[in-house]
Amino acid sequence: MLNYVWMSLIVIGLIVGVGKDISDEVRNTYRNGVPMDAVVCVEKTPTALRQTWEGELVISSEAFNRFYGITSAASEVRQPVEMTTLSSGKTTIAILVDDSSPAFWKEMAKNSSSKDKLLGTVNAVKFSEDKTTVQVSFLLEKISYVKIRAITKAALDYADTAVTISLGLIGVMALWLGVVKIAEEAGLLKMLTRLLRPITSRLFPDVPADHPAVAAMIMNIAANMLGLNNAATPLGLKAMEELNKLNPNLGTATNAMCTFLVINTAGLTLIPATAIAIRAAQGSAEPGIIIGTSIFGAGCATLAGLVSVKILERLPRYKKDLLVDGHNSESSHG
Amino acid sequence: MVELFRNIVNIISVAAIPLMFFIFVGWGIVRKVKVYEVFVEGAKDGFHVAIKIIPYLVAMLVAIGIFRASGAMDVVIAVLSPVSNLIGMPAETVPLAILRPLSGSGSMGLMTELMKVHGPDSFIGVLASTMYGSSETTFYVLAVYFGAVGIKNTRHALPAGIIADIFGMLGALFICRTFFGV
Repeated sequence: MLNYVWMSLIVIGLIVGVGKDISDEVRNTYRNGVPMDAVVCVEKTPTALRQTWEGELVISSEAFNRFYGITSAASEVRQPVEMTTLSSGKTTIAILVDDSSPAFWKEMAKNSSSKDKLLGTVNAVKFSEDKTTVQVSFLLEKISYVKIRAITKAALDYADTAVTISLGLIGVMALWLGVVKIAEEAGLLKMLTRLLRPITSRLFPDVPADHPAVAAMIMNIAANMLGLNNAATPLGLKAMEELNKLNPNLGTATNAMCTFLVINTAGLTLIPATAIAIRAAQGSAEPGIIIGTSIFGAGCATLAGLVSVKILERLPRYKKDLLVDGHNSESSHG
Repeated sequence: MVELFRNIVNIISVAAIPLMFFIFVGWGIVRKVKVYEVFVEGAKDGFHVAIKIIPYLVAMLVAIGIFRASGAMDVVIAVLSPVSNLIGMPAETVPLAILRPLSGSGSMGLMTELMKVHGPDSFIGVLASTMYGSSETTFYVLAVYFGAVGIKNTRHALPAGIIADIFGMLGALFICRTFFGV
């Protein structure tokens, strides 16, 4: 299943991305090669040292929307520009894109060569009588393959993120594994396990009731409930390592591992701290109002997950993966 | 009532980690465990576990990154819109439901955005934050937990996890419609 989902994410992503780029190309979404007309209010005229005009480009929202065939620009577009006359006589234009720019231009700038500017060449210039405004007609640089570029960037960025996340775990992992080891040596984990035996022996029938894996799982679930993410992941990984010691078929998940994982992915927590913090930051009158609803939602998820994991593990297609050399491995550890 | 519950859980959450350290180490000392040596012995594994996760997490996050960057989400939303209309899920929250199991930071951004646009106490704001709190980032948990012990054949964990996510989202929708319904 994971194989197919993984493959689908990539294949669907690539197909949709290429499709979008082709349709942009066909419809010329970014108006490559189409000259745009605008008025520039001149603020600085060229000096002997720099052949640069600085000013403000003005286009009405209707003209902007008509040009790109969109409806998103609501107000008049006003952008700082620089026009430079090169020694060859050609004039270039640079539109400085900032937060106030139309969303469409921001998107275009992101995919341009300079990332925060739209560059182009000026075809025609016509000054007004008093030289304070100038009518320009210009061609912006070609923008294409937007999605393909975005996909490439995302793939490289996310690979980097994965390593950052993993390395970031080293410290807390070490801390928790050390502390848990003390509890283990002191016999504290055994006591904890004995206390919750009635529940755990039902959830994980394949795991011996006093196995260290049970204690690690209990602590992971407790940490998750309290929203202690820093503690939950290391304890969960410790539990997985202990469960793997009972695994006769390394590389294949056991029933207990799948059950444990589903409890974790359902994410039952008593206080959804992140959501509450963001609600408070957004000025909610009652940030904590979602505690009850979240417990209900995550409770549904946990229950549905547990029921489906117990049904699915009985299906022949998942059961056959547990066989080692044709023998049923479940019997080897009760 | 809610306030009291919240305060109690908050106190437990704040005190839990120091208390756990105190009890574990204290108990170890009482039972004459060589606490320092044992701690270092256990902590040694931290590095290996973290390193082992890397290939699994790279594979997972890169696939999700490609999917999101391509704009394929819009296609999925379009395909799912008849279903979401049928169950009364606001169209604005459908992307969040899909993104929640895929990306933790992505769905957090989306939730914040929805609250910014519609207000945190609007129906959509409450629903979005409930949906966020009703599930975990399934694909991330899967990659990290199974990666740490080198599991490649994940068997029924993913289908069960996705079923749990679907029910989490449906549960969030149901409870929000019941109490804050439109």
